[in-house]
Amino acid sequence: MTFSFRKSLLAASVSLTALLAAQAVAAQEAVFVMNTNEVGAPTYNPIKATMLNSASGLLFDRLVSQAADLSYQPWLADSWEEAADGMAWTFKLKQGVKFHNGEPFNAATVKAWIELFKAAEGENAYMAEAIASVEVVDDYTVKFVMSRPEPNLLYNLSSTFMSVVEPKSYAALGDNYGVTEVYGTGPYKLESFTIGQETVLVRNDDYTWGPAVAQNHGPAKVERLTFREIPEDSTAFLELKTGGVDFLLSVPADLMAEVQKEPNLAVLTMAGQDVWYMPINVTKAPFDDIRVREAAAKAINQEEILASVFGGVGAVDDTFLISALPESHVAESAKIKFDPARSNALLDEAGWVMGADGIRSKDGQPLKVSLWTQSDSIFRRLTEVVQAELKAVGFDAEITTFDSSMIRDQYKTGEQQLAVRSYNWDNADIVDWFFGGDRLGYPNVSMFNDPKAEELRATAMTGSKNMAERIANFTAYHEYVLTQFPMAPIYQPVQAFAYNKDHLVVPETINAPSFGTAAFLDLEVKE
Amino acid sequence: MLSWLVKRLLMLVPVFLAVSVVIFSILHFIPGDPIDNLLKVGSPPEARAQMEERYGLNRPLPVQYGIWLGNVLRGDLGTAIVARRPVADLIAQALPHSLRLGGLALLFSTVVGVTLGVIAALNRDRWPDRAIMGGVLLGSTMPSFWLGLILILIFSVSLGWFPVSGARGWQSLVLPVLTIGLGGTALVARITRVSMIEASGRDFITLLHAKGLSPLRIQLRHVLRHALIPVVTILALRIGWILGGAVTVEVVFARPGLGTLLIKSLSQHDYPVVQACLLMLAMAVMLGTLLGDILQALMDPRVRAAMT
Repeated sequence: MTFSFRKSLLAASVSLTALLAAQAVAAQEAVFVMNTNEVGAPTYNPIKATMLNSASGLLFDRLVSQAADLSYQPWLADSWEEAADGMAWTFKLKQGVKFHNGEPFNAATVKAWIELFKAAEGENAYMAEAIASVEVVDDYTVKFVMSRPEPNLLYNLSSTFMSVVEPKSYAALGDNYGVTEVYGTGPYKLESFTIGQETVLVRNDDYTWGPAVAQNHGPAKVERLTFREIPEDSTAFLELKTGGVDFLLSVPADLMAEVQKEPNLAVLTMAGQDVWYMPINVTKAPFDDIRVREAAAKAINQEEILASVFGGVGAVDDTFLISALPESHVAESAKIKFDPARSNALLDEAGWVMGADGIRSKDGQPLKVSLWTQSDSIFRRLTEVVQAELKAVGFDAEITTFDSSMIRDQYKTGEQQLAVRSYNWDNADIVDWFFGGDRLGYPNVSMFNDPKAEELRATAMTGSKNMAERIANFTAYHEYVLTQFPMAPIYQPVQAFAYNKDHLVVPETINAPSFGTAAFLDLEVKE
Repeated sequence: MLSWLVKRLLMLVPVFLAVSVVIFSILHFIPGDPIDNLLKVGSPPEARAQMEERYGLNRPLPVQYGIWLGNVLRGDLGTAIVARRPVADLIAQALPHSLRLGGLALLFSTVVGVTLGVIAALNRDRWPDRAIMGGVLLGSTMPSFWLGLILILIFSVSLGWFPVSGARGWQSLVLPVLTIGLGGTALVARITRVSMIEASGRDFITLLHAKGLSPLRIQLRHVLRHALIPVVTILALRIGWILGGAVTVEVVFARPGLGTLLIKSLSQHDYPVVQACLLMLAMAVMLGTLLGDILQALMDPRVRAAMT
């Protein structure tokens, strides 16, 4: 009797402890501030959205994930195979995966999803445009029959826009899918979503199919995540400082020093996907002379800019692409590096004679050029350094500043000579985007339209049968563009995040291109 | 009275049309278009033309305006190009937040502004008057964006009394209401003071003094009542102004509302949303003016008499 009483007492205390522990776990939550350029994303419908925020990567999974080195790794697809002629792709799917509404994930789901994707005419449709049809081989094998080879398919499949949606609820909910309700297979479920304000996610406890790039393939460690949208950087920083939020998914360079001053805050950096560069308008004299273009490009001292403007954080760039991309590995001779002696020699050769005032001239005309930039303070600072470096070899560059939201339309006039800009992209097709002969003005700020480049571009964009060929073709296209000097590469920043280290334990290594699903699965909250 | 009201309402029609033309054309003269925000790297060059066709942006501007105005008059604000949702839905979500914030700010500036104005008038040219008017001058010249950040630094960061931003609970309303309200307080206080001082010199007030009424009673019951007429007009005019003034404050405090929606849509060049937001703000100003006129008519027997 006594024994049994003791036993039940023990049992009671054990369950009480368990209850308390459960409560401690239940209290596990973290508040994130979305990247300022994701503020106002109006829907979590990946098929129709033009903009998706970080939370969408947690509601859904994709067939393929990407590692930090930008290689493709398994996720909902365990493995895949591409036909030698590029006209078919076969994917083996993970088993035992189910959607938040209990529907199973299998080959039929993938077929229905791709059909929905192709049927929705819109800005995302091009991603699945090369897929002619999807065949269900067996329950967990699908075959994509292609209308043309698309070696970029894995990249598209790893994009958040190609998150796998649950087809039945998608059809039933119509325009409400992604706004009031949303069903994916992701590690978190949608609890509430207020456009422009906040999204609350709760953990999907059934989740056991995390991407290969995450250390934790099971349910996430943090039970509840709130994503707040704060358009003003300084407000977001003050929220972090006062403990109102735990993590900022974007920190502007000028707030970095403030973050580092706070003892409870830490900065996390990851390799960036931005490139800063100086486009050169090849149609405007004196830059219609390739020697003058090369001289201007090689006057840019990337190392000095990295040290003086960016405090040594980030990396120099000597091609047009981020260095994680295989297509950035061009011949050493094609890389654009600081070489003032070469700049001076080229300008001498082109007939631009150095004057007593340090400005070159030819036939009585000074070497006066325009240098456009945008209004953000970091752009202005960088542009002033670029101006000084151009001056060092005899260019008199005059800076014109435009409002950041209007400068694209200024480029469309084609009046620019030099400019300082940046882009954010992690695929080699950005070369096509900024140097394609049919996009002159904007995005092709350099007004570059070269017959040989167009040929190489066509081969790279549509003439590659498989990924290896695509890499080779894009490398060749990229390399040729570099040798024509339509721009000078400058700098590759890092992605910076700030968080409260008293509350969060951020994984030491994040094997992904950005702070996404893998990082959230491994993230922990301190007791 | 009724015929006056009908006439007054009919006058709003040309104003509305003029405003709609201005809103539409200003927006289309700003460099840039929504397609730039929709095009993705990797999409084919033909995509731009297809999108312009889809959203009707390739038609001549007058035609686009005609279609838009026709739809607006039928109550259809259209569908957001970038946000992909009915504009009416977006507005319906945002407007209650802005109305709550604007309404509270208006209430705050009325109560505090009138009180300060009365105190200043009663103590004319003595230190309370100088202190209040000095504060008022400071308050009315401070940009709300900056004032908001200062209030956050004092009350959230240093004192920890209120949350820095957001829209959860009444605590998060205090600082935004103060930020918008303080500017209005300055205006209301100044007008109350001036019109009280002016009313004090009227013949009927001299008469009341002669009848031996207590000076405080005269000031509060008779002078203030008289002085409130211009104050009410100014307040009604401010209804529209307060919704517009909330734009930057909503952004600083990361609150949902018409302002946040407007700023976001403006940077994306999402024409239908920006047009609808501006139309809302313009309507608020027009209706505020109308309300001011009506209230003035109701309060001032001379105006009432002139109408009939």
